[in-house]
Amino acid sequence: MIGVEDLTVRLDDRTVVGPISFAARPGEVIALVGESGSGKTTTGLAVMGEFPSGASVAGVVRSDPRRIGYVPQHPGTVLTPSRRVGSLLREVARVRGRAGTESVARAVARAHLDPALLRRFPHQLSGGQQQRAVFALALIGDPDCLVVDEPTTGQDPGHRDALAAELESLREGGTAIILLSHDLALVRRLADDTLVLRLGAVVEQGRDLWAHPREPYTRQLIEAGLGEPPAGRTAAAPTSSPVLRVDRLTAGYGRRGDPVLDEVDLLLERGSALTVRGPSGAGKSTLARCLAGLHQPHGGELRLAGRVTPWAVRARTSADRALVQYVFQDARAAFDPFRPIGAQVIRPVVNLRGDGRAAVAAKLADVAGQVGLEPDHLARRVSQLSGGELQRAALVRALLTRPDVLICDEITTGLDAVTREVVLDLLERMVDGGMALVIITHENRVVRRFADRVLSLELPGLVYAAAQTPSSLPLGSVKWNRRPPGNS
Amino acid sequence: MSLTRLLARRMALGAVQVFGVVTIVFLLTEALPGDAAVVIAGDAPDPERIAQLRAALGLDDPLGQRYIRWWGELLRGDLGTSLVSGRPVADTLRAGLAPTALLAGVTFLLLPPLATMLGVAAARRPGSVVDRLISSVSLGFYSVPEFASAILLISLFALQLSLLPANALGVSDLLAQPSVLVLPVAVLLIRPLCSVSRLVRAGLVDARQSDYARHLGRIGLSERRITWAHALPTSGAPAVQQVARAVDWLLGGVIVVEAVFVIPGLGTTLVDAVGTRDVPVVQGLAVFFGLVTVVVNVVADAVSYRMNPAAVTL
Repeated sequence: MIGVEDLTVRLDDRTVVGPISFAARPGEVIALVGESGSGKTTTGLAVMGEFPSGASVAGVVRSDPRRIGYVPQHPGTVLTPSRRVGSLLREVARVRGRAGTESVARAVARAHLDPALLRRFPHQLSGGQQQRAVFALALIGDPDCLVVDEPTTGQDPGHRDALAAELESLREGGTAIILLSHDLALVRRLADDTLVLRLGAVVEQGRDLWAHPREPYTRQLIEAGLGEPPAGRTAAAPTSSPVLRVDRLTAGYGRRGDPVLDEVDLLLERGSALTVRGPSGAGKSTLARCLAGLHQPHGGELRLAGRVTPWAVRARTSADRALVQYVFQDARAAFDPFRPIGAQVIRPVVNLRGDGRAAVAAKLADVAGQVGLEPDHLARRVSQLSGGELQRAALVRALLTRPDVLICDEITTGLDAVTREVVLDLLERMVDGGMALVIITHENRVVRRFADRVLSLELPGLVYAAAQTPSSLPLGSVKWNRRPPGNS
Repeated sequence: MSLTRLLARRMALGAVQVFGVVTIVFLLTEALPGDAAVVIAGDAPDPERIAQLRAALGLDDPLGQRYIRWWGELLRGDLGTSLVSGRPVADTLRAGLAPTALLAGVTFLLLPPLATMLGVAAARRPGSVVDRLISSVSLGFYSVPEFASAILLISLFALQLSLLPANALGVSDLLAQPSVLVLPVAVLLIRPLCSVSRLVRAGLVDARQSDYARHLGRIGLSERRITWAHALPTSGAPAVQQVARAVDWLLGGVIVVEAVFVIPGLGTTLVDAVGTRDVPVVQGLAVFFGLVTVVVNVVADAVSYRMNPAAVTL
């Protein structure tokens, strides 16, 4: 059993979390929910006996870290880059006294990791696959307790359901689970006891706060996370000014094997949104990286504002680079850890657009304020910001350059429900203002809001023909929906 | 990218580099004042005799023709004839190769393990006494040029303590008397050892603070396993590249060391050839050094890739 009593973690006279108390008995799921920066991860690590360096800690934590499996939020960074996933799993099995392939195979199966991926290095896996690998790592040796930090982040709905089902079966098998998540649908499905955290403090704790939330903040959180989403955007009237056009884009990795993207055609107009979805590994990020010039496709033609533009970002002009901006799935990796965030956020607009620093600084405060980032946040470094705060900073950085096309790769997955709505509102205003948006997402709520057009990518080999195809686009591996799905 | 594909691309690039080296050596020799005819004519430069020699050696042919001939001879393994001894350049090089290969080889065998051990020891506790001692001593030694360290070591170990021979004068077989190798190898080893161990330390300090190292610690892997099986391979690529650069440096360092310790290797050959303006020998040595450098760097790339495929891009 895991017990936490009156735990308080303070750093530089700032309370990071606490006082917080909970107990996880075998077969119980304790959920910690709250905005990014609310202290969920700090609490999860405290259970593992880990505290931020220099923190002063009060209270009691009763746990045996050797019997706890930990699944951190950023799975890409915890797999040794120089080791194949399978070799890493076997080594951990040996260390945990579970030699043999059987325990590895069981953990791999329970984590829904395709055994064929064990031969790969971490950088050859998609974000979702990496997380499943980390999950398998945690499940080796059948831990008594799992601490799971944002498990559904970046997972496609199919695997999200499978993961929820697996967590349920683990719970039935007697494993205690501490779930740190802002995925309220998942929390409501699994949690026996739920703690709502805000700025480190426990706002509300209870087994039945879904039906009867006492605190206004909890109500707000539930409303944003589980309530009906705002009506989908109405599709913008097609204009004659496509900002981005792609013809017969074919891209993949290596020379052998089938391309991930096979002759994809795209047309983006000013003020329109394109939602890209599909299972892990279907090529969503590959498509986005091609558009941004970060991946060299095998073939195809790109036009920006009507002009034929080279694929490679290095061959593009500064103005063209400013036109297409990218917000990455892993915001932490998208910032230099040694410099304040604010200086990095204004860099692209200064470099690409040649704007003066003073002018940019004034604009920065405005845009940052719209996503809830204070000047204090911008003065900090990467290590002092939460995943959600970094994601918002990355968005601000992209928006400052006044792009024609903004590509967002799973940017809402690191955000809590309230912040997510704030960010989506901002994106919607930008689209209404004429920006074209490419948004990659697993989340149906996001799909519903930006469903002018939906591109559903399937795993290579399974290609869907278009159901309704605008006349300007030939049939291809593209599924077009004029109406939001499920809103017929 | 697979290892075979990386190797194929690197070797193709290496071939281009070798081509460049050979061409540059040819052009540089062209740019030298005087030529083989002048050297052969010796102390009594009679213009008529020089003209005769030029015609006989084919030096009056156009540049392009001589360049093609130079390539043809190279590909047949014919590096030309020494102007001083009259022996084929290939034989001259072969004679000097054995002592140099022995010196550089022993140094190269000792370098990676010693540098790794020093780097790991320093990275164990960054900022500790051991770390500061290793870091400051290695920085100090790194700044001593090899001719100075050679003289220092000779005066200490050979003259003051009489523990080791001061030079290899009169030693025909270096292997039969390995004690003569100790001081030269030590001199060759000092500077690369310092630079490589500092890179091992720097990479390791970063890697041990990384998310994966912390996560493996959380899972229960020992610090030793994390260091040797995870952090070191992941962060080792810069150190491997530095080892490759050290091999280039060894070829140059050998010149001074051979001169100080009187070892008749390639360095001595080169110094003699330059002194007597024996152009074909200098050319042959330049091509040989260039070839070794290219090969060593291809191998270093392959090793880096094997250690951490994510870190290597072409």
